[in-house]
Amino acid sequence: MNLKKKQQKLDARFSGSIRIEDSGEYFHLTGTASTWEEAVEAGLLCAEKGGLKHIVSDVTVPGQEKPAPILPKLTDKTLEGRTPDILIIGGGVTGCAIARELSKNKLDILLVDKEYDVALHASSRNDGMVHPGIDITPGLLKKKMNNWGNSIYDKLCSDLNVPFERTGQYLCFKKGWYLPFMTLSVPYCNMTVAGKAHVVTGSKLRKVEPDVSPEAKFALYFDGAGMVCPYGLTIALAENAIDNGAQISLDTAVLSMETEENDGKTTIKSVTTNRGVIYPKIVINAAGVFAEDIAQMAGDRFFSIHPRKGTNAILDKKARRHINTIYSLMGTQSKTGHTKGGGIVGTVDGNVLIGPDAIETIEKEDFATHKDSIQNSFEKHNHAGKWLTTGDIITYFTGIRAATYEEDFIIENGRFTSNIIHAAGIQSPGLTAAPAIGLAIEELACKMLSKQMTVEPNENFNPVRQAIVKPKEMSDEDREKLIAANPDYGIIVCRCEEVSKGEILDAMRRSLPCDTVDGIKRRVRPGMGRCQGGFCGPHVVNIIAEEKHIPLQQVRKGYEGSEILTGEKGAAQENGAEQENGAEQENGTPQEKGGGRHE
Amino acid sequence: MNKNAKTYDVTVIGGGPAGLAAAISAHEQGAHVLLIEREDRLGGVLKQCIHDGFGLLRFGEKLSGCEYATRFMHKLEETDVEVRALTFASRIEKTDEGFLLSLIQSSGFEQVKSKSLVLATGCRERTARQVAIHGTRPAGVLTAGSAQYYINILGQLPGKNCVILGSGDIGLIMARRLTLEGANVLGVYEAKAEPSGLMRNIYQCLVDFDIPLHLSKTVTEVHGRERLTGVTVSAVDERMNPIPGTEEYIPCDTLILSVGLIPENELAESLGVKISRATKGPECNQDYETTVPGIFSCGNALHVNDLVDYVSESGENAGRAAAAYAKSGHEHRLKSVEVKTDKNFGYIVPSHIDLPAKDSVPFFFRTSKTRGRTRVKAFMDGKEVFSKVFAGLRPPEMEKIEIEAAKLQGAGPLQFTMEVDEHEQ
Repeated sequence: MNLKKKQQKLDARFSGSIRIEDSGEYFHLTGTASTWEEAVEAGLLCAEKGGLKHIVSDVTVPGQEKPAPILPKLTDKTLEGRTPDILIIGGGVTGCAIARELSKNKLDILLVDKEYDVALHASSRNDGMVHPGIDITPGLLKKKMNNWGNSIYDKLCSDLNVPFERTGQYLCFKKGWYLPFMTLSVPYCNMTVAGKAHVVTGSKLRKVEPDVSPEAKFALYFDGAGMVCPYGLTIALAENAIDNGAQISLDTAVLSMETEENDGKTTIKSVTTNRGVIYPKIVINAAGVFAEDIAQMAGDRFFSIHPRKGTNAILDKKARRHINTIYSLMGTQSKTGHTKGGGIVGTVDGNVLIGPDAIETIEKEDFATHKDSIQNSFEKHNHAGKWLTTGDIITYFTGIRAATYEEDFIIENGRFTSNIIHAAGIQSPGLTAAPAIGLAIEELACKMLSKQMTVEPNENFNPVRQAIVKPKEMSDEDREKLIAANPDYGIIVCRCEEVSKGEILDAMRRSLPCDTVDGIKRRVRPGMGRCQGGFCGPHVVNIIAEEKHIPLQQVRKGYEGSEILTGEKGAAQENGAEQENGAEQENGTPQEKGGGRHE
Repeated sequence: MNKNAKTYDVTVIGGGPAGLAAAISAHEQGAHVLLIEREDRLGGVLKQCIHDGFGLLRFGEKLSGCEYATRFMHKLEETDVEVRALTFASRIEKTDEGFLLSLIQSSGFEQVKSKSLVLATGCRERTARQVAIHGTRPAGVLTAGSAQYYINILGQLPGKNCVILGSGDIGLIMARRLTLEGANVLGVYEAKAEPSGLMRNIYQCLVDFDIPLHLSKTVTEVHGRERLTGVTVSAVDERMNPIPGTEEYIPCDTLILSVGLIPENELAESLGVKISRATKGPECNQDYETTVPGIFSCGNALHVNDLVDYVSESGENAGRAAAAYAKSGHEHRLKSVEVKTDKNFGYIVPSHIDLPAKDSVPFFFRTSKTRGRTRVKAFMDGKEVFSKVFAGLRPPEMEKIEIEAAKLQGAGPLQFTMEVDEHEQ
């Protein structure tokens, strides 16, 4: 499709309000659209799937501002003057995999993320599927990275001690007469997916998944599919990177970059953050939905990200009896559409996930959920599992995909700037691909660095990361020994997930710091269960305060500014003003009042 | 299996009001009793209930929750019931001799045997997402029980400007409690057309403190990234679906949820106990023996009570029966008769009765909706065995009736009905 044709298409659809130009390295879209959906549509209209010449869109919607990134309020100088060999921007699964792979080399690696923990955006907001790559068009970079990443998972997760289950996936069909056609497609599938595919009859399917819908007449089975805890893996990669010498600086946002021009090539000289100015040799852009913003700061903008959000529901562990693997039914849509692939997924932690849908959004950090998303997902997946009921929902979450208009990954050196490498446009199957992206970027980075320094292997690299012990999964004898050695493992704080105080303290004492209720929840699961922290919440708050020697009022749920206890009463008490309680003493027995405060 | 495991006649799981009563009554029947509590102190939720109104039926006086629990704890101290606090029953297996319990405690992992079990595991609170509240996930959204724990146990006020969703008793009590502690309670919102809590709490906790109650309105969305900045409330139709166009934004920093309690029966379910859809607690007979012989249920694990006095009563009943079971096994009576109700009932406990009954049998029920003068009747084999007029019935208020053992004869089922008491009108 040449430029003229693209413009004709735009004119036919948007009556001249949107222009396209060829800037050499990319196609530039400008003008105005009446809604954000239309602005995205314009980009998709002109984009060539997997095309290397990308769409950069500056199409605006009058009255609708693109929200600026939410930045940490903190400012200090802890990173001032740092001169790392490599600066990785973004602590998602991609950035952490890159840091971990790079730590195999004797390099000064610094990873920064603007959030208070790693894996706070898309990496903790997806369904945790390790994909065989069924619906990815061959030829796309993401197909290659998916299949490569998939093949590394067993070894990687075993090294990092992260639970990974290669459950396989059933793609079910409603029409029995499709079976011969699908049988014919198996050899093709086997050539293009990770792992092997084969056809299973309805009765065989029901031996594995007895509760699959009667509508499913047969299925294509993909043995390459698996399940991992996405944030568990990201945290493990980050910890292993730190254990091997990398530095991770959280609450650290990249605010601007200073570049200089030399012989027509741009070079990043320094990177300004809220924690000081950094002088890296090379920069790796793994900034997810903000990858375009980072590229622009570096003078290397040649692609655009259009955020697309998706919502998943998490079901009670009780629902898990209906599903052993992952399944979905082909040809089912909710009435309103807007769902994307997805399926019913049995997670490694014993829950069930439903979703996700796919909705274009101008907001990169709006993780709010909406009723319609849940309704649509249930409507769709109810066809595959008649047992699904919204009554089993314990919570839901929204994630935002960092899609390019070409709907493919960008893993390459900068086109205008000489010392940046992009890992951009990483959306589904980014989790599956992450280990491969780590390796690919490691190669690119070492090559780039070798022009200005000798890159030597890190002889002390240890690929193995020890996980936090899980007493619940131990044999009775081992558990007995563990508790004898440390009685904190015998104090159960979260009863839904059976998490001990010992595990919570472990989560706070790892190489990657963690001191928030949500951070602890992602590591050892108190509050992940059906009561959602109703019982254990205050206990976890207490343990954090104790361990950190801070007042209870300073304990945060997650983000900076998310203190849990913000009333005045506690503050007054800290100052010794006890009179407020006086009146109550008569009602409560004295030992009941304030006795629970273990300080 | 540990051969040296200690053996008990009755093991009570849960040291709240139901468990305390069960342990004491089992002991009084001569049983060797073990009481397990996962928190560091006995009393269950009563520990954080410093408001009064407890024990009116049992003691004829208004006690605080703590005082009410303390009376039982003192009584327990006089017994040789073995109490293990900060102990978690991780797993229970059915064996030929009874039950094998795996206990986690800071002193180590231990297995004990028990001839019978009383499950007094209480209930948990329904959460925001379980009532379809959407939006962000900021700090400042918490259940009424958690808020009560922060204020009354930890001495901490969770926020300054609070909206309360749900007019259940805990929500109402927290509205007053927060106000007394200096927080600003902007209003209590209730999706139903009438309050869910006891009338006395509406007056004592809301009316007396000028806290507005908004009926047929619910919170549909929460806002704010770090801390709650506000909630959207919407009017709802008769089916409790939000009505588009009625949204109203209310700035606040704290949302307290009192949107229902769910009996905790995960242990019971792991043992194959059948759970009633109506009560969300185990199906049981008049001794509160579940569908698994030797396992008894009581208190809020059996069904959610509004008065602690009834919780203790069910605990005593279950404890007594568990002790008898430990002594002589499941009492094989002639027949089991199903207890049925018409649609006017929310639910009734027990779900079946074993005949012949020794004593009169207490029944606890809730109406499905608010009614005026109502006659409740029970029939067995077409014969009326019970009839009583109630001046009024409300779903939040549980009613108790008793039927004499002599009247409970026949093939069953025992059928309960409700009808408008025209005679009186």
